[in-house]
Amino acid sequence: MLHLKNHADTEDIFQTVFLKYVLSSVSFESEEHERAWFIRVTINSCRDLIRSFFRSHTVSLDEVMEQAAELPEDDREVLEAVLSLPQKYREVVYLHYYEGYTAPEISRLIDKNVNTVYTLLTRSRQLLRERLEGYEL
Amino acid sequence: MSMNDRIKKAFDGIHAEAELVEKTESFLCQKTGNYGIASSAEVKVKPAKPIALNRYAKLISAAACLIFAMLGGYWLYFTPTVEISMDINPSIELGVNRFDRIISVSSYNDDGRELLDELDIKYLGYMDAVNQILENENMQALLYGEEDLVIGVFGADGEQSDEVLKSLEACTGGRGNIYCQRYQATASEINEAHRLGLSYGRYRAYMELKSLDPGIAPEEIRDMTMREIRDRIARLSGKEIPSAGGRRYRGGRGS
Repeated sequence: MLHLKNHADTEDIFQTVFLKYVLSSVSFESEEHERAWFIRVTINSCRDLIRSFFRSHTVSLDEVMEQAAELPEDDREVLEAVLSLPQKYREVVYLHYYEGYTAPEISRLIDKNVNTVYTLLTRSRQLLRERLEGYEL
Repeated sequence: MSMNDRIKKAFDGIHAEAELVEKTESFLCQKTGNYGIASSAEVKVKPAKPIALNRYAKLISAAACLIFAMLGGYWLYFTPTVEISMDINPSIELGVNRFDRIISVSSYNDDGRELLDELDIKYLGYMDAVNQILENENMQALLYGEEDLVIGVFGADGEQSDEVLKSLEACTGGRGNIYCQRYQATASEINEAHRLGLSYGRYRAYMELKSLDPGIAPEEIRDMTMREIRDRIARLSGKEIPSAGGRRYRGGRGS
C-alpha cells in the first residue's frame, strides 16, 4: 500500500478540491455524476499545481516514491510504467483503466475532442505495451 | 491478468495518509465555520454541505489516485536513482534520475561550492555534466598537477548504477589520475557521510583512513586533496603508493 503523504502540494489540492465540493451548489443527480464532477475539479487543480510548479521549481516531492518500494514488485512496475508516460497520457490511462470511463466520457471530463482521446488511448496503450512486455492490453 | 486489471490493482494500493485526511477535515471546518453550524467570519456563503471525510472514502481514494497519476511523473523525475560523487579537492555529489538527468547538485567543501557556482549542469544528461566538470579550468589544473580524482557511483538502482559506471569509465579512461568506483552504500552510511559534511566518496576514504589512524577527524579530511588522503592511507597501511606519473587510470568496484 502506498500512502499519498501530507506534502504541501498534495495538501493544497486536497483542501482546494474538498472545499469546492462542500461549497458547491451543484445538485448531483447520481453518485456517478458526483464522482465525475469531483474528478474534473481534481484534474483542474492538479493542472494548476503543475503550471505553478514549473514557474517556481521549488516543490520537493522525493519521499512519495520512496514509499513505492513498499508496494509489491508487480504493482510498482505498473505504476512506474504509467507514471513515466507524459501527463496527457497518464490522465486518460487513469480515467479509462482505473475509473472505467469510455472515450466520449473522458472527452467531456477533460474538455478534449473525442478523437483526440481515442488517439491518446491508442498511443498510451502502445507505450505501456513497450514498457510492460507480456501483458494483454 | 490483463493490463486493465493490473492497472486497477496497482492504483488500488494508493491511499491518502491519515494525517492528510485529518488536516483537510480541520481545514474545511475552519473555512466553513464547522460547515455552517458555528458562526464564523469566514462564512459568507450559504451553509456548506456537512462532510465527514471518512464517510467519503471513495472520493478520498479517487483524489489520492488521481493526484498520484497526475503528479507522479514529476515525482519520478525528481527522485534520484543514482548518485555520483566526485572528489579531488573540490568535493561534490550529483543526483541522477531514472532518465539519466542531473536533478541535484551538492558541494561538500568551499572548492566544491566554487566549482558548482561556475557551472550550470542541473537537468543536463549526466555525461554532459561530468564532461563539463572535467573540462573546468580548475579541474584541469588539478588533474595535470597529479592530483587524484575519485568518482564514486552508488544508488538504489543497481542496474542503472552499473551502466553509469561503465559510461564514466569509458569517458575517463586514459584521461589521467581518475579512479571510477562503484560503491554499495546503505542509506544510513550516506546520511552519516552528509551529517559529517562529507560527500559519500570522501566518507569512504575517511573510513579507510580512520581504520588506520583512529585520531583523524572529518574536519581534517574535508579540505585535504584525495591524493593526500590516498597517500596517507598507503603510507599507514604499508601498501605501495601508486605512481604519481600522471597517466594512470584504474577502474574498479568498491566493496
